[in-house]
Amino acid sequence: MTDVRSPQAGNGAAAPGVAEEPADVAGETIAGVADETETPRPGGFGAVAWARWAWRQLTSMRIALVLLFLLALGSVPGSLLPQQGIDPAGVQQYFTAHPALAPFLNALGLFNVFAAPWFAAIYLLLFVSLAGCVLPRSFRLARTARARPPQAPRHLSRLPNSVRYETAMTTEEASAAAAAFLTRRHFRLSQGEGWLSAEKGYRREAGNLLFHVALMGVLVSIGLGGLFGYKADRLLVEGTSFADTVTDLDAYHPGHLVSPNDLAPFSLTLDKFSASYVASGPDRNQPESFNAHVSYTAQPGDAARTYDIQVNHPLNVDAVKVYLLGHGYAPVFRVTDGQGKVVYDQATPFLPADQSTYLSEGVVKAPDAKPQQLGFAGVFLPTAVDVSGQLESAFPAPYLPAVSMIPYVGNLGLNNGVPQSVYQLNTTGMHRLATPVQVLTPGQSMKLPGGAGTLTFTGYRQWVSLQVTYDPGQVPALISGIAALAGLVLSFLVRRRRIFVRTYRGDSGRTVVDVAGLARSDVGGGFEAEFGELAAGLKSVHDHDSSPRSEETE
Amino acid sequence: MPLFPSSHAARRAVGAAAMAVAGVLGVAACGGQIAANTPASNGNNFVSGNGTSSYFKAGSRLAAPAVSGSTLSGARLSLSSYRGKVVVINFWGSWCAPCRSEAPTLAVLSEQYQSKGVRFVGVDIRDSPASARAFVQNFGISYPSLNDPADEIALAFRHTVPPAAIPSTLVIDRNGQIAGRVIGQTSYSSLGNILAKVTAGG
Repeated sequence: MTDVRSPQAGNGAAAPGVAEEPADVAGETIAGVADETETPRPGGFGAVAWARWAWRQLTSMRIALVLLFLLALGSVPGSLLPQQGIDPAGVQQYFTAHPALAPFLNALGLFNVFAAPWFAAIYLLLFVSLAGCVLPRSFRLARTARARPPQAPRHLSRLPNSVRYETAMTTEEASAAAAAFLTRRHFRLSQGEGWLSAEKGYRREAGNLLFHVALMGVLVSIGLGGLFGYKADRLLVEGTSFADTVTDLDAYHPGHLVSPNDLAPFSLTLDKFSASYVASGPDRNQPESFNAHVSYTAQPGDAARTYDIQVNHPLNVDAVKVYLLGHGYAPVFRVTDGQGKVVYDQATPFLPADQSTYLSEGVVKAPDAKPQQLGFAGVFLPTAVDVSGQLESAFPAPYLPAVSMIPYVGNLGLNNGVPQSVYQLNTTGMHRLATPVQVLTPGQSMKLPGGAGTLTFTGYRQWVSLQVTYDPGQVPALISGIAALAGLVLSFLVRRRRIFVRTYRGDSGRTVVDVAGLARSDVGGGFEAEFGELAAGLKSVHDHDSSPRSEETE
Repeated sequence: MPLFPSSHAARRAVGAAAMAVAGVLGVAACGGQIAANTPASNGNNFVSGNGTSSYFKAGSRLAAPAVSGSTLSGARLSLSSYRGKVVVINFWGSWCAPCRSEAPTLAVLSEQYQSKGVRFVGVDIRDSPASARAFVQNFGISYPSLNDPADEIALAFRHTVPPAAIPSTLVIDRNGQIAGRVIGQTSYSSLGNILAKVTAGG
């Protein structure tokens, strides 16, 4: 007597019974995809209507995507043009090279893109758009997750999966038995006269909600980092120290609510830096490992501790991370001026010009040399070799260290107060001293013509560039990110499905049971099999248990 | 392993987004008098100021920390030995262009205010003794400078009015409290005005 109908294409949609299905089947959305319900443009001049219209437009997914695209587009000049915060010298050069174009670009804020008002406007709108989209959606999802299933359709046989059979039970007994059976299988029920609706798979809504809430969590975490975090750079030579205070940092990018007093008060000394390189084979000259051996104190007065900073293996002091970013050589020079006085004696960081050989470039400035200021520009070669008259470095490790420096005298341009790069020599006020090119090995000196002084290359040390970062939003962002992913997976894997049961007295006088099933968004398939099992289970309950009492014991 | 300029850019964008978060969530911005002077990097390997000067009224001043160290000439010097005098502390380095530019002004002011009970102390940071001594001699600086290669003295001021750039100048009143600060290059008038008020008992 069992009459199982297989799904019939086009049947369900036209059925009047199915039409009773609430509209939220159509409104079923995957996380993040907004309802693109078009709000009609208001015809009159009502400020509230216009404001509502503008708000609906702003919080639509289409506008969010447009803003995201604009944000990406707006960042392009930031990577094409020199930026004030990163490369002020480059901006100056651009002004001299393009005197007509540069002021125009400057007026548009293209030399400081990320601080430009138009850029701020884009990200502010984007954020409001995201928040305005995600927050109300979260509330709606929370309501959906608590909702009860709707009334059963009238004609169950028109649903894609349906079964009809007869039972010896009364209609009331059959309804109660079906309710007990479905409750045991964790269905959520709503019941009425002769009908029963059961729904399962609310974890999909919970996953959807989790995704949306976690998305807000990610935004807030990023905000936390931007407000209370900071990032700073410092180049440190072996044997020297620095403290995490603004005066002792090369570059300092504080969050909007960070004051100089908030920096973690640690001090750090670079005891030794070692690097190893591949000596032969196709990967020759490639670095194998970098180790910066440091000692640090977390607070002034604390005991010093040691640590070995490696790439992607930062030092962690009070939630502040110190990363190893780069390294190089700092030849030690002693400059004696024309009056025989030592006016310069220190390790001078040179910047690597060639990453595979560590041929490095740098300058020495002796602004207090008498009778005239002295400057030197030149190269450091870790493994100096003569390649047909040309001085080159053969290997990045310091096997045959040598320098070659060109001397200048005159005005370094330091005394007028304009900050200048310590890696560049401004030779506009200086003239080059006529000396033959000399290669100095450690301990060797070069006498300057005209009794201007002496330069001695006394040795070398290594330096590391460190990045100090504090980001209080990092852990919350990670947790939110994982939660968002879990929510998304849940919402994709779990499907919502409904079982409807109607019981009524048939023509023969026996109770007829109609069972139908409907899977909402059956992405993975497999609902048909589940429905078959449930229908068989219901039928066996209705066949074998003739009294309500025995149902409870099952 | 070079620095990625883009990471800086990204951070700025994130910071910008953070401002948006603050606006939406109604996070109250609570920057004090000091946060207003937060300097930006000039990309020249140190943080230089813009010459902003601040004067703190009596009653709203914070006590200067007890700092001491050895001077460029090797003598011991402790800030507490100047108690009862007005002290000007100047953080400088011989390599720093604004420091070189302001040095003649400081040399003049230190002599002018000597008779009014003002003492100057330099704090030489991120420097080598050879260059620092040449600087002091070159500019005819008569007051002592503490040698502070690890910047521990600046760190000691972190809970008060930290020197937020190179150069930075702090004025400490007769009671050992911080009465003024100049971030960046001082001028005759900016430091002179603070000194005139503080020596007058203001």
